[in-house]
Amino acid sequence: MRRLLPHLVLLVATVVALFPVAWVVKMALRSSQTFSTSLSPWPDEVSLVQFETLFADPVFWRQVLNSVVVASATTAVGVFLACTAAYAFSRYRFPGRRAGLQVLLVTQMFPGTLMMIPLYRLIESMGLLDRALGLVLVYSTTAIPFCVWQLKGWFDTLPKELEESAIMDGAGPLTLFWRIILPLSRPAIAVTALFSFMTAWNEYVLAATFMGDERAYTLPVRVQSYVGAYTTEWGLFAAGAVVVSLPVMALFFVLQRHLVGGLTAGGVKG
Amino acid sequence: MTRQAARVGLIAPFIAVLFAAALGALALQRYSAERHRATATAFVTHLAQWYAEQGPAGSQALARDSRVRFAAIATRTQAGAYPYLHDLRFTAHTVDARAGEALWPILEDDRAVALAVTRSGVTHLPNGAWRAAVRAPGSDGERSVAVIETQPLSPIAVPWWGLAASCLAAFALWLDVVRRWPGRGAAPLLAAALSAGAILTPLGMRLLAVDATEVGTTLGSADLRGAALMLAAAVAAPLTLLGVLAARRGSGPSPHRWAYAYIAPAMVGLGVLVVVPFIFGVVMSFHERAGGDWRWVGASHYVDILAATGRRLWEPMSFYFTLAVTVLWTLVNVALHASIGLALALLLARPTLRFKAVYRVLLIVPWAVPSYITALVWKGMFNQQYGLVNHLLGVLGLAPVSWFASFWAAFAANVTTNTWLGFPFMLVVSLGALQSIPADLYEAAEVDGATRWQQFRHITLPLLRPALVPALLLGSVWTFNMFNVIYLVSGGQPGHATDILVTEAYRLAFEQDRYGYAAAWSVLIFVVLLAWGFVTRRAGEDDEPSPAAGGGAH
Repeated sequence: MRRLLPHLVLLVATVVALFPVAWVVKMALRSSQTFSTSLSPWPDEVSLVQFETLFADPVFWRQVLNSVVVASATTAVGVFLACTAAYAFSRYRFPGRRAGLQVLLVTQMFPGTLMMIPLYRLIESMGLLDRALGLVLVYSTTAIPFCVWQLKGWFDTLPKELEESAIMDGAGPLTLFWRIILPLSRPAIAVTALFSFMTAWNEYVLAATFMGDERAYTLPVRVQSYVGAYTTEWGLFAAGAVVVSLPVMALFFVLQRHLVGGLTAGGVKG
Repeated sequence: MTRQAARVGLIAPFIAVLFAAALGALALQRYSAERHRATATAFVTHLAQWYAEQGPAGSQALARDSRVRFAAIATRTQAGAYPYLHDLRFTAHTVDARAGEALWPILEDDRAVALAVTRSGVTHLPNGAWRAAVRAPGSDGERSVAVIETQPLSPIAVPWWGLAASCLAAFALWLDVVRRWPGRGAAPLLAAALSAGAILTPLGMRLLAVDATEVGTTLGSADLRGAALMLAAAVAAPLTLLGVLAARRGSGPSPHRWAYAYIAPAMVGLGVLVVVPFIFGVVMSFHERAGGDWRWVGASHYVDILAATGRRLWEPMSFYFTLAVTVLWTLVNVALHASIGLALALLLARPTLRFKAVYRVLLIVPWAVPSYITALVWKGMFNQQYGLVNHLLGVLGLAPVSWFASFWAAFAANVTTNTWLGFPFMLVVSLGALQSIPADLYEAAEVDGATRWQQFRHITLPLLRPALVPALLLGSVWTFNMFNVIYLVSGGQPGHATDILVTEAYRLAFEQDRYGYAAAWSVLIFVVLLAWGFVTRRAGEDDEPSPAAGGGAH
């Protein structure tokens, strides 16, 4: 009994965790647009009609491309900005360091509703509405604070002796960063990249605000468009949801080994 | 010699910044004049045309003009096409085409009396005003000509007070460098912040002056230049600040050059796209939008919100009620996330557990699903007629619940959704922290005869604390501002009761178009969060991975 109890609890938790997901998959595999009402999460039919409808639309592929471009560019820009800043916060003691770290935390508290109109105006005045670049700029900067704290925690755990010996060998500040610190930080960078990617890939409100043209939509906006005020095309919605969720899930599975270590490195090494 | 060189090196960036600011101011003036010209030309032509078509009757209706009337015409005829209307003042009159005399003086202070205008066009008067005259092809021949003239235009005022503040900053800095300043340290910082704010705020209001609802407004290249200028100012502000900070040490920027170089890209990005919009948002909260125009209303929004004007202090949609719901929402969620996450992590961390990796992978699946999809799916599940939850209740022999009809049911639906969504994060954080606790601690405790509970209480919890506390603080801020779940699952039902502060702010802004009020509401949200941050700062600071905790490497 003592051995079975943990498994029982974990099984229940797993079932609860997977049930809504299985549900979405089931709806995506049905041929009707209604919400399924039977309790079983197993697909009662396997039809690819929803996916075929979705994939047959050339605009959909355009939107996939938008999402891919926005998310990858956000990841690249966000990780670069976060790595450099986190390294400075971790390794240098400069005036303004504490204030800078506090500012990063405080920006997490800015309510999105306050930012939306000014951001809209800003993006508009830069001529970046309906352009991927506008979203990339906004996403990569909003993701910075969390990523910096996250990476700083990791950098703090890297022994400084490594750098000291490298300096003895004549390495400059850039060499230190590129050749010593970054290669040692792959797990943390992977996790940071995952978060940046997720921020951009999953974000809905700003994307819907900035992207007025259907061809400029990202996938979340497209998926949301199947949910109407009165009727919802659950089949197409579910198929879209599966398509949106798959890449993130894949990334999670690839990176989950790093996730546990990379996320908590800073606080716990005593 | 070298000290002198160092001082020059310190001052030079500030001279450069001031120089750049002055250049920026001139560019701003030019840009604003050009924008005026474009707007005035278009508006004046349009108005004159309309006016000439009206003939005497229409013009008399306008006899008691005010800008408001013209604005009304403009709004009616071409909404949003003249965003900078409030900068322009007009006089208007019609003249007889043949006599060249004024027929219907429109404005009482009609300074520009009948000029013999015989052809259409917009002309630039020597005093800087613009005039349009349009012939009306009336039924009785070309009888009336409408003349609309703007008053001399004053271009956007250069924020000279901002530049003055910059000078003050530079001066304070210089005093700081030569160390004869009694209030060393704080003064330059303050001055720099002041100057940045002074330069940014008028620019920001200019940009905001465009009707925020007019999504279709097209902007010309002049606006791009305006934006570029604003960006330049936004970039200069943090750099100035950093420069001041560097110089405060009196050692010059060189020892920290690399540090600043590393943080500069991120900080500039944050400055432009996070801090600047925030400042504009705060400025917005002191304004009200009326007819495409932002009007200064002082702190009246704040007074209205805090005094719950128009409703009782304690009912849905009042700030206090919504705040209480938000706090309850945050506490319940964070408690559930942490306890479920930690409990599952404790189970998963058992060394003898089998299928550990499988459980771990499957349990973080909810995290990977975008939250708006989660929210929509759960909303479907809580549907009274076809929802699964009620179906399940039916199987268990219970009556179906109308989930969004009562506060507690709707609140429970929201919490369920958010718990499902949020526990994996705490699970992963706890798991990482648990794995780093050395096993020999437990072995030693067992030798000493400690019970499992004692082990948990005295080994696990204290060692988890450094990892858990920051995660909890972050989680509480995230939950406090969790928009998707509330907005999409309960949608505030019943009657805004389950709305939290952010969803209410969103409704105020985008469903009721009360932008200024919503901005003030949002600022109050920020103040609440900031207060929460201060309360928990000690806890957070204790757990900031201090140099000592980093493996003793520092």
